[in-house]
Amino acid sequence: MQDLQLVMHGIAVKKYATVDEICSITGLQSDTVKELVGHAVARGRASEANGKYLLTPTGQITLKSAYSKTYGSLRRDEEFVATYQDFERINNDLKQAITEWQTIGIGGQTVANDHSDEAYDSAVIDRIGDIHERVEIILKRLGNQEPRLNRYSNKLLSALEKAEDGDIRWVSDATMESYHTVWFELHEDLLRIMGREREEF
Amino acid sequence: MAATPLHGKWLLALDGSNLPEKSLIGGKGWSIAHMLRQGLPVPPAFVITTEACAAYLETGELPAELDDQLQAAMQWLEEQTGRTYGCGHSPLLVSVRSGAAISMPGMMDTVLNLGINAETMQAFAVESGDDKFARDTYRRFHELYGEIVLRVTVPELGENENLSEWRARIEKAAGQAVPEAPTEQLKATIEAVFRSWTSRRAKRYRKHHGIPDNLGTAVTVQAMVFGNLDQNSGTGVLFSRNPLTGEPVPYGEYLRCAQGEDVVSGKYTPGHLDDMKTAAPDAYKTLIHAAQTLESTNREVQDIEFTVQQGKLYFLQSRTAKRSPAAAVRIAVDMYREGTIGIEDAIRRVNPDQVRSILSPRLGEGVSNGATVLASGLGVSHGIGVGTVVSDADEAERRAHDGEDVVLATATTSPDDVHGMLVARAVITEQGGSTSHAAVVGRALGLPSVVGCGVGTVTSLHGQTVTVDGENGKIYAGALKVVTPCETEDDRLAELLSWAHEHSPLTVYRPDEAPQDTLDLESNDDAADPANLPALIKGARGARGGAIASEQGVKAALQAGLEYIVAEPTLPALLAAIHAGGTPESSPSIEND
Repeated sequence: MQDLQLVMHGIAVKKYATVDEICSITGLQSDTVKELVGHAVARGRASEANGKYLLTPTGQITLKSAYSKTYGSLRRDEEFVATYQDFERINNDLKQAITEWQTIGIGGQTVANDHSDEAYDSAVIDRIGDIHERVEIILKRLGNQEPRLNRYSNKLLSALEKAEDGDIRWVSDATMESYHTVWFELHEDLLRIMGREREEF
Repeated sequence: MAATPLHGKWLLALDGSNLPEKSLIGGKGWSIAHMLRQGLPVPPAFVITTEACAAYLETGELPAELDDQLQAAMQWLEEQTGRTYGCGHSPLLVSVRSGAAISMPGMMDTVLNLGINAETMQAFAVESGDDKFARDTYRRFHELYGEIVLRVTVPELGENENLSEWRARIEKAAGQAVPEAPTEQLKATIEAVFRSWTSRRAKRYRKHHGIPDNLGTAVTVQAMVFGNLDQNSGTGVLFSRNPLTGEPVPYGEYLRCAQGEDVVSGKYTPGHLDDMKTAAPDAYKTLIHAAQTLESTNREVQDIEFTVQQGKLYFLQSRTAKRSPAAAVRIAVDMYREGTIGIEDAIRRVNPDQVRSILSPRLGEGVSNGATVLASGLGVSHGIGVGTVVSDADEAERRAHDGEDVVLATATTSPDDVHGMLVARAVITEQGGSTSHAAVVGRALGLPSVVGCGVGTVTSLHGQTVTVDGENGKIYAGALKVVTPCETEDDRLAELLSWAHEHSPLTVYRPDEAPQDTLDLESNDDAADPANLPALIKGARGARGGAIASEQGVKAALQAGLEYIVAEPTLPALLAAIHAGGTPESSPSIEND
């Protein structure tokens, strides 16, 4: 993708993104991003509110067609598609682990995890670490064909290690680049590459 | 003891004859040995020692003599169980677990059902009279072996798919096949356990905690027991007290003719323990008796997993039970009254968050009876939220900014909507279950959330004022009366409160008891961040407002040498002061998972 499209893609994955967030997701420099969001706004592809950017409907449509052009061949690539499906499967494991992070079964009923049991929390973080080792292999295979995706590996590991070191907000806090936040963006990114919709169960 | 194939340097059979060092047999093996010493029936097991691990890490190979010892130990398991490994009419299946003396992350997960292959699967199907179960056992082994030993994402096995085709797909993904020969399965899994000692997470953890790299992990090999062989078999969970209410009566579930995972997966609804009383009366008696023994030995409520195989009871695991906030209070006070634990232990078994949860706002008594239920779904994040329903995150943000209480209702949520969720009093979705984005983010934000209310909910609720109950999943019309429970209403809570007052290193006053010269932080915006408190409260006698009553606030008050703080309710702050003051009580737990 061209840098402008990449910036729009960054906005789309974040939905509602600051310049810093766009930099973090695209790997572009701050000056470049500032200039390009300016272009996007000037051309009516994005709008700005409180320092955050949002794609306009026109922007969404332009981006969609950019995806088809850029990713048409990946969408037909048997190996890439199979690896993507591996990700979808491991995505269920992660969702399950995050649910276990947030809830505890007590005598057959589910209640919120109040994080008073360190051993329980450590075991869940360990499970996420397990999932991480498997997703790294998947990301490596995806990254061979779309190098942009390699960025997620480091972001995930960085969140995981902070959680492992005891700052448990890095597991699923929605207001920071926690493991779940980054994973969710990775999933969103992949859905966009594949031209698919998210399924909720 | 003389070195025999079953009691050597590399391998030890757990036969109840002795209690070897934890550093040699690891935590899991030690728990099994410990349970055996207490006379509890546990599926037979042996351990490959941490010494063998050290040797493996040094040479990259399993010690040469281990081969013979392993063979002897498997023979011993066969004699103990009356089953045979890798052949025969009653095939023996085993589980393999890692276990260091200190439990740490990154160590290999448990692999179940080793010993199954095309041949033993057939025998197993005949023995259990259940083709599907035999196939499931086969599938489960391959999934675990693939994920845990080969570290790949195992493709799904289709209902009608041929097993060899499926094995070929795993082989393609992993670059190597799952061994057919049961002895190979066992050896490769043991090596994988040893290798996991040097995984990224394990190394990192040891470095962080100053644990020597040469301790090594042990491997526990244990016979699998099956609760689904006949009507005299089954599986269940027993709590020595009710973990939801704290009532001092055994509480549990039992599922006849089923395997442990069936209960966990929610595929089947387990029956009451009374069913076990009828189906396996002897096992039931042993179980209840052992639960009481375990509780009094450990001085903690026990959560016991067990299986009954053809009428014989086996303990799989016993550990300290998790409990609801209400149960935590009741159990702590009851166990003190019974003379099992002291006041200090009782206080330490209840944490500030549990008390806050008990005292958090809820619907008034009987209020929901007359109320109109506008919609209902799955309650996934507890709490009560009242507000006007808006169907768009941007609108939610705008109206909340203007000071309105809003409830966000959407078909599903995505990162798109997080800014709206941040300001909403509650969230409602039409689609999704307990792992959906709305549920995950709702819980992360502590936001009352109800998901899966059905298509059309958003349109029908739009613009109305509603009360959302994130626990029972109901959405009521109008703003219902919300009450905040009082900390002296309940007699156990009141007792805990009086103890906490006595033991707290910091005095906590209710607002109406506060001395005149109290430093008031209420109007100081900086005081909402606990990090700013030390500077703000320096030199004061006592303080109120801001974050002073939070855990960090209480710590700051203790460090600054304040005489008192003011809080409402007082118990969470008192508990925070007590918990900050000393070393937490160690909670004994034995497990065999």
